[in-house]
Amino acid sequence: MDVEIQINNSAAANARFVTWAPAPCRIRITNPSGAQGQGSPPMRISARTTANSGDVVFRSGTSGSFSSSLNLKVPVNGNWVTFFVAGKFGKPSTNAGDVRIEARHGNGNAVVGSTPCMVRIRKNANGLTPGERDRFIAAFAQLNNQGLGRFADFRDMHTSVSSPQAHGAPGFLPWHRAYLLDLERELQAIDPSVSMHYWRFDQASPNIFKREFLGESDNLGTVFFSATNPLQFWITDGVQGINRRPFFPTTSAPPGLRTEAQTIALGAAYPAFRTMEGNPHGSAHVSFGGSISSIPTAARDPLFFLLHCNVDRLWAKWQKQNNRFNPATTASFDANPPGGNAVGHNLPDTMWPWNGVTTPPRPPTAPGGTMAPSPIVTAPGLSPRVRDSLDYQGNVNSASALGFGYDDVPFS
Amino acid sequence: MTTKRKSAKKTTAAKKKSPAKRSPRAAFAVATNEKKTTAERAKAFVEAPLAAIESDESLQATLAVLRDRSQPIKVRLAALQSLQAASFSVILFEPHREDYLATLREIADDPDPELRQRVLGILMREKDGYAQKQLLDGLQNPDKALVPPEKALQLLSYDVHADAYPVARAIVKEPPNPDAKREALRLLAADASSAPVFEKLMRDKDEDRDIRQISAAALQAVKPKRFQEQAREVLLDKKEHDDIQATALTALTQFGDEKAVAKDEELMKRVDELGKGKSAKVKKPAKQFLSRYGSEK
Repeated sequence: MDVEIQINNSAAANARFVTWAPAPCRIRITNPSGAQGQGSPPMRISARTTANSGDVVFRSGTSGSFSSSLNLKVPVNGNWVTFFVAGKFGKPSTNAGDVRIEARHGNGNAVVGSTPCMVRIRKNANGLTPGERDRFIAAFAQLNNQGLGRFADFRDMHTSVSSPQAHGAPGFLPWHRAYLLDLERELQAIDPSVSMHYWRFDQASPNIFKREFLGESDNLGTVFFSATNPLQFWITDGVQGINRRPFFPTTSAPPGLRTEAQTIALGAAYPAFRTMEGNPHGSAHVSFGGSISSIPTAARDPLFFLLHCNVDRLWAKWQKQNNRFNPATTASFDANPPGGNAVGHNLPDTMWPWNGVTTPPRPPTAPGGTMAPSPIVTAPGLSPRVRDSLDYQGNVNSASALGFGYDDVPFS
Repeated sequence: MTTKRKSAKKTTAAKKKSPAKRSPRAAFAVATNEKKTTAERAKAFVEAPLAAIESDESLQATLAVLRDRSQPIKVRLAALQSLQAASFSVILFEPHREDYLATLREIADDPDPELRQRVLGILMREKDGYAQKQLLDGLQNPDKALVPPEKALQLLSYDVHADAYPVARAIVKEPPNPDAKREALRLLAADASSAPVFEKLMRDKDEDRDIRQISAAALQAVKPKRFQEQAREVLLDKKEHDDIQATALTALTQFGDEKAVAKDEELMKRVDELGKGKSAKVKKPAKQFLSRYGSEK
């Protein structure tokens, strides 16, 4: 007997990725020899893992608890049977395909079909394996392609002209979530095993500031890379290299920033929580001199994206703690501040530049086109709205899942 | 028992002082209170950046601290950092932006070199014409320079202007110090007419390795085909430095022309040797190269 297993209901190799949120899978019998006359023979689904690999859990429907194996009846006529798989919280992958989903017939030991899978999760960049780190920076360097690549669009999305679309108002967090997602999907088009990762700025992160990763700064603020680091070819706006001068020893965390606990404790309603745009967000930016310390130039430095990934992770943690995934829940957003919200900061508004709108009050150009599609989820669509950023794991509606997760924020 | 009581008291005291428990307005009051210590004031400024732009009055008070040369420099730098952080909240900051930038121009020649450098950096990132002129003037007349030439070049790179190229080329030719030469090369990275200089420096074994690496990356950007030829020569040269060979291998692996590289048998053979050689620096990129183009593909 042979069976075929598809993750995210797709045969494509770039769809074999899951997060902590349940992903739809299916199984069918492709060669029924040995099972004729059984109608729908029993099949046991489980994961093959190693000590350092990711791990997954299963359930048969859209609700209920997950378990490490699942028994299904699969018809010999070749019809698909659906089930769900999710990353086992605390066990993210480090390499593509390091978990194998296997099917066995009945109580037998023989594997009748299997497929590789990766629990692809955003992690604390300070703790990446050398392999994860190297793939991440290689994908970044290729996306930039010495200033000639697609990265230039991301650079152009975050400028003085466009900043009112993304800062100083309730859309700050949703806009940056979409921005990071778009970039992450472009990185994954280069190497599907790559995720965006975060700089946990309230903790010492010495590994990030090494020559092998995001570089080591001298007193002038010039960043140096090892000879094997492809970021040595980083060019933005026609200028080589990165300027970043830390005002703190990079063996410790920057002083004066709100900790994770203090940030999450800002308040259970979004208007209070979003004051984190000042401290820790703004404060983290200005804990350096150099590009990252000003809006018009911040996106020149790859560290900027890791900083914002942590801002997004803090929002995700706050959402989880206070159950703020549903746009219909008043406290999930700041929908009615005194004087109202500017265009682009209301829940139903589409977000620039993905909406392509270039008439005032939007900026005069919309770099980068629509949101990059994903081979594993359909949300947030090509032209995301502010509301589409909230339910990122599909807690309220599974179709809203954006296809990413954080190593320390479980699926609710 | 006594010990327990003491530690309980300490915890209570720590809680009272915890910045998280202080309102932004209370922190701002400390920041602008000259009777407080320098450390207390600096910490309070950094703690609550949005408090500085809560009203025109608070903004003016912060700008006054920033302008006032009699204030401790640590407090002035913290005030600047606070305003910079607040500037990320664009919509809230917008009404104050002009006052902020005007103040920065006013203090761009402050006696404190650290403050001067930070202020000029902020202005240049905003593509400020006044700051650009000051920096270019300083490079042409070192007696008037507000910052060292290497810093001026680095700051000019935030808004590469045609005027900056001739100055940078002159500095590469006759650098006042090695750092200035390095920053001038970075600034010229998109200047195709500097390709012969990049090529020469990349191949010059007597040059500093940082300069050679920067030149290699710049050549790769402006003349990728020429870079590929030079990278090949670097790899075939058995007396070449490990770092430069690693740079050449990394560039070819990430950005090389697959058709040209894969059919170059001499190069493939040489990289195979490097992959089996003793140098750890070269081994890893050689293997990555071979995994893209060669036997390990």
